[in-house]
Amino acid sequence: MRRYDSRWLLVVSANLVLAWLTGLANHYLAPLALHLYIAGLCVVFAGLRVDPKQGLIAILLTGLLLDATIPVPFGTHLVLLGLIHATLLYGRRRFPREGSIFSIVVAQFANLFLFISLSFLLVGENPRPGEAWLRIFFDLMVSQIVILLITPWFLALQSRVFEKMHIHPETGRALAR
Amino acid sequence: MLPKRFDQVSPFVTLGIILLTWLLLPFVFKTFTRATFFEIQAPLTVADSYAHDLQDFWSNRLHSKDELLQAGRDLAGLVAKYDFSVQQNQQLEADILRLENLLNLPPLPAFRLEAARVAQRDFSGWWQRFTIRKGQNFGLTVGAPVVFSGGVVGRITEVHRYTAVVDLVTSPTFRLAASLAGDNRPVSYQGGLNDSFKAPRGTVEFVPLEFTAARNAPRRLVTSGLGGIFPAGLSIGEILNLELSADGLFKAGDVQLDERIGTLTEVTVLVPLNPEEL
Repeated sequence: MRRYDSRWLLVVSANLVLAWLTGLANHYLAPLALHLYIAGLCVVFAGLRVDPKQGLIAILLTGLLLDATIPVPFGTHLVLLGLIHATLLYGRRRFPREGSIFSIVVAQFANLFLFISLSFLLVGENPRPGEAWLRIFFDLMVSQIVILLITPWFLALQSRVFEKMHIHPETGRALAR
Repeated sequence: MLPKRFDQVSPFVTLGIILLTWLLLPFVFKTFTRATFFEIQAPLTVADSYAHDLQDFWSNRLHSKDELLQAGRDLAGLVAKYDFSVQQNQQLEADILRLENLLNLPPLPAFRLEAARVAQRDFSGWWQRFTIRKGQNFGLTVGAPVVFSGGVVGRITEVHRYTAVVDLVTSPTFRLAASLAGDNRPVSYQGGLNDSFKAPRGTVEFVPLEFTAARNAPRRLVTSGLGGIFPAGLSIGEILNLELSADGLFKAGDVQLDERIGTLTEVTVLVPLNPEEL
């Protein structure tokens, strides 16, 4: 009997946990007028270590999950995360995929791309876009620092989940128990 | 010959096909998907809020009987004070009704007050929103005003089964017809100046030329009642400065908003008794 392939579900679940923790952090940072945006981290494991098809499914669903809770056109993150994922797949064979440092660099660039794209999309609504960019820049700096700190943890969490489920993220084969 | 494996196909071509399919999907399907994906995450969004309530409950259980008796006495004084205010309010409402009948005025919009807990705050440079722990289950409607003891909080932009999303007065997407306290000419208010580690601010435009404002002599900005969403006279903030606008016909300036908006845990939704009025 063919085993159901649940790799996409594991990645989406981990991303959902990350989104929830970010939401919690933002709730408590609100009085300081600070905001964390770390969606770039969601694409790293799926793009570098999971099978391309399963990774794409996970990324598209993660994009829709993120879009559902924020006031952007539905599908924005689907497009942006999909683009990053496609770029990672394109150069995947040449990348040092297992390296933590490389994963951190990818997370940083992915988040930077998402942050700037969203800012260009949304900053026009502000009465004084010049002042809004200052705030956005500060949020970006804080978010990038947080990504720097938590990327190893988040990748380890996802690897551990796959280990616990005895599934190899790339091949989908059962690991020895 | 077509490649057999997904990773042998150009990832960008695959993505292009998926995005094209997404663009061609009917709007109803996207709306349904969005609502579904929001509801999937809703329990996570409110979980922390409920955990916090439980934490408060158990910490309150630790208070001694003496402390509770003292709190009860304080509360009794407060209730007596509010009883008097309710009586005054009823008298004023009766006066308003009498004047409306006398002058043949259209009735003011009527609201039902619905208190709601704040489940999650989301204050970014792009948007400023709350998620509250009441939704369709309490008859909340899109566009309903949200207030607190300090004045305007925002308006409801999304209503889900058990939660609702409030666009805050501090958000750049929030615009409102306001007026200066003591004057009935409308001015335009917009939120959106939210510098890090500072109190939120908004902007005001189309202020008549005769008005002045400064940090040491601010002017109060209140809702005008125009547009039919917010009742007139609710406090928005204080105008700190007014300068001549580029066209020289009006003045524009900054509005200091209430700092407490960032720490609110409970708000009141004014649910219109006649939603068609919104």
